[in-house]
Amino acid sequence: MRLILHCIKQHISTFLAGLLFLSVEAMADLLQPTFMSYIVDEGVKNADVRTVLYYGAIMLGIAALGALGAVMRNMFASRTSQAIGKELRGEMYHKVQTLSLENIDRLKPASIITRITNDVTQIQDFINGCMRIMIKAPITCIGAIALIVIETPRQIPMMAAVLIISAVFIFANMKCGYPRFERLQKRLDQLNNVSREFLNSVRVVKAFHAEEKEKEKFRIASEGLADAGVSAMRVMAVFAPLINFTVNFGIVVMLWISQNDSSTEIGKLMAAVNYMTQILFAIGMVSNILNTAARAMASSRRVNEILQETPAQLPPKEPLFPSIQGGVSFENVSFAYAGAGRASLEGITICINPGETIGIIGPTGSGKTTLVNLVPRFYDATEGTVRVDGYDVTQIDEKTLRRAVAVVPQKALLFSGTILENLRWGKADATVEEVRRAAKIACADSFVQETEKGYETHLSQGGVNLSGGQKQRLALARALVGNPRILILDDCTSALDADTEATVLNGLRRLSGQMTILLISQRISTVMKTDRILCMENGRIQGIGTHSELMHSCPSYQAIYDSQIGGMQNA
Amino acid sequence: MRNASNVASIQGMGGRGPMRGRPVVKPKDLKGTLSRLWILTSGNRKGLGWILLLSACSSASAILSPLVIGDAVNAVDKRLPAVSLLLLLLSLYLCDWIVRFLQQFFMASIGQKMIHHIRVALFEAMKTLPLAFFDRKQHGELMSRLTNDVDNISNTISNSLTQLLTYGFTIIGIFIIMLFLSPLLTAVSLIGVGFIFLLTRIVTKHTRKLFTQQQKILGELDGQLEESISGLTVVKAFCQEEQMNRQFDQNNNDFQKVATRALIWSGYLMPLTNVINNLSYVAISVVSGILALNGLISIGMISSFLLYTRQFSRPFVDIANIYNNFQTAVAGAERIFEILDEQPEPKDKQDALPLESPKGDIEFRHVTFGYTPHSPILKDLSLRVPSGTKTAIVGPTGAGKTTIINLLTRFYDVDKGSILLDGHDLRDYHMQDLRRCFGVVLQDTALFVESVEDNIKYGRRDASRKEVEQAAQIAGADSFICRLPKGYQTVLAQGGAELSQGERQLLTIARAVLANAPILILDEATSSVDTVTEQKIRRAMLAITEGRTSFIIAHRLSTIRDSDLIVLIEDGKIAEQGTHEELMKLGGRYASMYLTQTDS
Repeated sequence: MRLILHCIKQHISTFLAGLLFLSVEAMADLLQPTFMSYIVDEGVKNADVRTVLYYGAIMLGIAALGALGAVMRNMFASRTSQAIGKELRGEMYHKVQTLSLENIDRLKPASIITRITNDVTQIQDFINGCMRIMIKAPITCIGAIALIVIETPRQIPMMAAVLIISAVFIFANMKCGYPRFERLQKRLDQLNNVSREFLNSVRVVKAFHAEEKEKEKFRIASEGLADAGVSAMRVMAVFAPLINFTVNFGIVVMLWISQNDSSTEIGKLMAAVNYMTQILFAIGMVSNILNTAARAMASSRRVNEILQETPAQLPPKEPLFPSIQGGVSFENVSFAYAGAGRASLEGITICINPGETIGIIGPTGSGKTTLVNLVPRFYDATEGTVRVDGYDVTQIDEKTLRRAVAVVPQKALLFSGTILENLRWGKADATVEEVRRAAKIACADSFVQETEKGYETHLSQGGVNLSGGQKQRLALARALVGNPRILILDDCTSALDADTEATVLNGLRRLSGQMTILLISQRISTVMKTDRILCMENGRIQGIGTHSELMHSCPSYQAIYDSQIGGMQNA
Repeated sequence: MRNASNVASIQGMGGRGPMRGRPVVKPKDLKGTLSRLWILTSGNRKGLGWILLLSACSSASAILSPLVIGDAVNAVDKRLPAVSLLLLLLSLYLCDWIVRFLQQFFMASIGQKMIHHIRVALFEAMKTLPLAFFDRKQHGELMSRLTNDVDNISNTISNSLTQLLTYGFTIIGIFIIMLFLSPLLTAVSLIGVGFIFLLTRIVTKHTRKLFTQQQKILGELDGQLEESISGLTVVKAFCQEEQMNRQFDQNNNDFQKVATRALIWSGYLMPLTNVINNLSYVAISVVSGILALNGLISIGMISSFLLYTRQFSRPFVDIANIYNNFQTAVAGAERIFEILDEQPEPKDKQDALPLESPKGDIEFRHVTFGYTPHSPILKDLSLRVPSGTKTAIVGPTGAGKTTIINLLTRFYDVDKGSILLDGHDLRDYHMQDLRRCFGVVLQDTALFVESVEDNIKYGRRDASRKEVEQAAQIAGADSFICRLPKGYQTVLAQGGAELSQGERQLLTIARAVLANAPILILDEATSSVDTVTEQKIRRAMLAITEGRTSFIIAHRLSTIRDSDLIVLIEDGKIAEQGTHEELMKLGGRYASMYLTQTDS
C-alpha cells in the first residue's frame, strides 16, 4: 500500500486535479434529486409552472458542469495511472538489471516477468479505478447522507445502522479476499512457468511425443489457477448481495418511518429514496474497488519484493579504477551456490600472468565454469579472494572489471537486433572495420558476408535462425570486438566442426600475449597448445603445468589423454 | 539448434522480427470472433441456463420494487397505511438478495471453468503446431497470449456476463412497465437512451483498434522482457544494462502512449453516459412536474418514474462499460484464434500405416529441402542406410547435418523427393508411431522441472525405477545423480540450470536410452561431455546401437571411427561416403579433417 501511495505522490498534482474534477462530477450527480424535490414540493404542490421550469434550468446547468468534470477527470485519471504503470515497469526493469545472478536464480525469471507485466497492471488498474470511481463513491455517499440528514433528520439512526452494517461487510470482504487474490497471482506464476518450459523445450517434447504429458501438466496448472479464481470470486459473491440487501432494507425502514410521521414533505421523501439508491450504487462501487484493492495490494507486495531486493553483490564503497593488464590470481578460493549442499570449488589457489593462455580441462561438473565465473564477478567467492592485477575483484569498479574481461559462454545467447548491434555489445562505438576484424578471427565474417544484408541481418529471438555453430562464432566475435585484457572461453567451440575450430584457435593463438586467455575445453587437443593447463576434478585443482609436465605428474590428466589421444593411437 | 545456416534463411526469418514502432492493425472481424468464442465455450452452456434463470428472477425484483415504492409514496402522501406495501417490498428485496448470491456464486465457477477450457484448447492447438512456428515466434509473446489475452476474456466472461443478462431482462421489463405507466415520459427517457447508443458506437469504434494495438505492443514488451531477463548473464558480462534499459524504456513508452489513448477513449463512455442520464433525469423531472400540475399523473408515479429512469439507463451505462471491456476481450480472443488458426503439423493420412516394430531400413531419395522456399539446404540428396547399421554424419557447420535429423523425425517435411522407412514414405505412417521409433538426443539439453527420475522417464512413463537406474548407468549419469541431495528424487527446480551442461547432456542420453527406440539419433550428443565420460558413453552406445539403425552427428571424428558408414555432407550434398578406412585411403576432405583434429 505504501508503494501505491508513493506512486501517487509522484503525480500528486495530476492526481489531485483528477480528484477535483471527480468531485465536481459527483456534486452534480448529488444535487439533482434535491432540485427535483423542489420541483415537487414548490412547483407541483403550488401548481407553479415557472418554478418547475426554473429549477429544471438549474438542473440542466448542473448536468453540464458534471459533464465537464467527467471529461476532465477521465483524462487526468488515464494519464496518471498509465504514467505510474510505466514508471513502475521501468523502475522494476532497471532494478532487475542491477541485481546479481544469485538474486535472479532465486527470484526466477518467469516470476520476474509476471511481476513486471501482470502485477504492475493490477496496480495501474487500481489507481485508475481510484481516480474514476473510488473517490466518487465516498463523495456521493457522504453527500447523500448529509442531504438526507439535513432534509429529513429523523432518518439519522436508520442511516447510521445501514452504514455500520455495510462497513462491516466490506471489511469482511477485504479480509477474506486478500489471501485469495494473493494465491491467484501465485498460481498465475505457476502457469507461466509451465508454458515457458514447454516453449523452451518444444523440440524435446515433440521428439519424445510427450505432447499429451505436457498438456496434462498445463491442464493441472490451469485448473489450479481456475480454482483459485473461483474461490476469490466466491468471496465477492457472498458479500456483494449482502451489502445490497442492507441498503434496500434501509429504504423499507425509511418509508416505514415516514408513513408514521404526519409532517413528511413528499418531495423530500422522494429525494431521500433517490439518495438511498445512489448510496447503494456507491457502496456497491466501494466494495468492488476494495476487491481490486485487495488484488492491487497483493500485487504491490510482489512488485515491492523486487524493488526492495538488495543485490547479493554490493558495489565497492571506494571502487578502484585500475587499468587492467590481465593478471588473475585465486587465493584459497572456495565457492558454493546459494542453497546447494556441496561446495563447487574448494581451496583453489593459482596465479596467472598477464598474456598467458591457460587451458582448463576436467570432467563434467568439476567446477570449470564456476571457476571462471568468479573472475568477472558473476558470483562472489564464498571464501578466499579472487584478484585481477593484484586487486581484489570485489573492490574494482564493476564496469571497469567487466569491460576488461570478456566471456564467451557455453550457450551462445544472442539478442533480437541486427548482427552488427549484437557484436557491438563488446564495444559500443566499434567501427564496422573493428567488428569485421573480430568476426574474421572468430570465422564469422565469411558466413555473415554471404547473407544478403550482411551485418545488418536481423536476428529474431536470439538467433533461432542461426545454427549452433554460427551462434557460437558470433558470440566469440562479440567478445573479441571489445579487445579485452582477459578473455574467457567456456567450451564455446563445441558446436564447431574440427576445421573451423582449428582456424578459430589458430586466430586466437595469434592474440596470445596481448590478452590473458582462459580456455575451457573438453578436448585435450584444444588445450594442449596452451601455455599452462589446469586440470580440475570435483572442484579441486588436480594439476597445473604444461602438457608434458601433467603427463608425468597428474593421473587425472593422463586418464583424459588416454581416453582421447591414446585411444586413437591404439586404433 | 535448427541448422539453417543458409544465407537466405537468415533473411527470411529476420524479416519477421518484432516491428518496433510501427504496429499494423488489421481490420478484425467482431462477429466472427464472437461466434467462434461461442463455439469454443460450448461445453459450459448447461450452467449458463441456470444463470439465465437466476438473472430473470433478479431482474424481476429490480423491476417491481420501484412500482411498490411509488405506491408507498402515494400512500404516505395521502396519509394511508402502507404496511402491506412495505412488507411486499421487503420480501422483494429478500428474494433479490438470495438470487443475486446464487447467481454470482455459480457464475464464479462457470466463468473460470470456461476460461480454463479456452486455455487448455489454446495449449492443445499449440502443441500440435510444427516446429517452424515456434522457431518463428517470440516465446514471450506466445506466453502473453496464454495469460494476458486469456485473462482478458476471463474477466469479461466472469464479471460481465451475469450483469449483461440481468440488465437485458431489466431493460425489457422496465420498458414495458414504463410504457404502461406513461408513454410520454417513456419517450422522454428513450431519447436519452438513443444518445447513449450513439456515443457507445463512436467510442467503441476507436477503442477496439486501440486495444488490439495495445495488446500487440504488450506482446513485444513481453518478448523483450523474456529475452533480456533470461539472458541476463550475457547482458551483465557485456555491461549492456543501460542499453537494455533504454530499449525497454522505449517499448515501455510506446506501450504507455497507446494504452493511455485506449484508456482515455474507453473512459469517456461511463461519465458521458452518466451525464446523458442526468439530462434525462432533468427532462423527466420537468415534464412529469408539468404533467402532475395538470393532474395527469400522481406524485407516486413521478417517484416510480424517476427511479425507473435511473434503473433504466444505469444498465445502459454499465452495458456501455461492459461493451468496452468486451473490446479488450475480443481483441484478446482474436489473438488466441490466430494461434488456433495456425496450420498444425500435417495430419496423418486416412490410410496411414501403423508402425510397430520397424526394421529400420532408411532411404533418402533425391531429397531437397530448405527452411525458406528458394534456398535449399539439402540438394537432391540420396542415401541408403540398411537396417541395424551405424551411420555417422559429418561435415562443416551449416552443411545440413541437423537438417537431416529434422527431416527424419518429421519436424519438417521434405520439399522434393522422399524419405522411406522400411520401404514406405515417412508421411504414410502415423506421426505418433513414427516419432516413437526414434530415440533422440538433441543438441539442446532441455530438461523439465521434475525429479531426475521423471526426467529420464520422459519418453517412457511406465518404466520401473530399476530400468531408470539401468539407463542412467548405461549413460554414465548414475554416479553424479547419486551425489545429488535426493538422488533420483531430486527435483530439478530450475529445469536443469543447477546442473552443468555435461550433466544435463548425460541425463538426456539416459532419457534416450530408456526410451528404447529402434532407431537412435545422437545429434552431437557428446559435445559437452568430458572425454573420460564420453568413453563410457561410447561403450554404452556401442552396446545399445547393436542391431539398431543409428545416426550420429559428431564433430569429434574420433568418436565415429567404428561406424559402418561415414557420410560427409558438404553444401547440401554428399561429398564422400564409406568406412573410416576407406575414406582415409581416399585421402580427401575427411582424411584431412581427421588429421587436423588429431594433429597434436
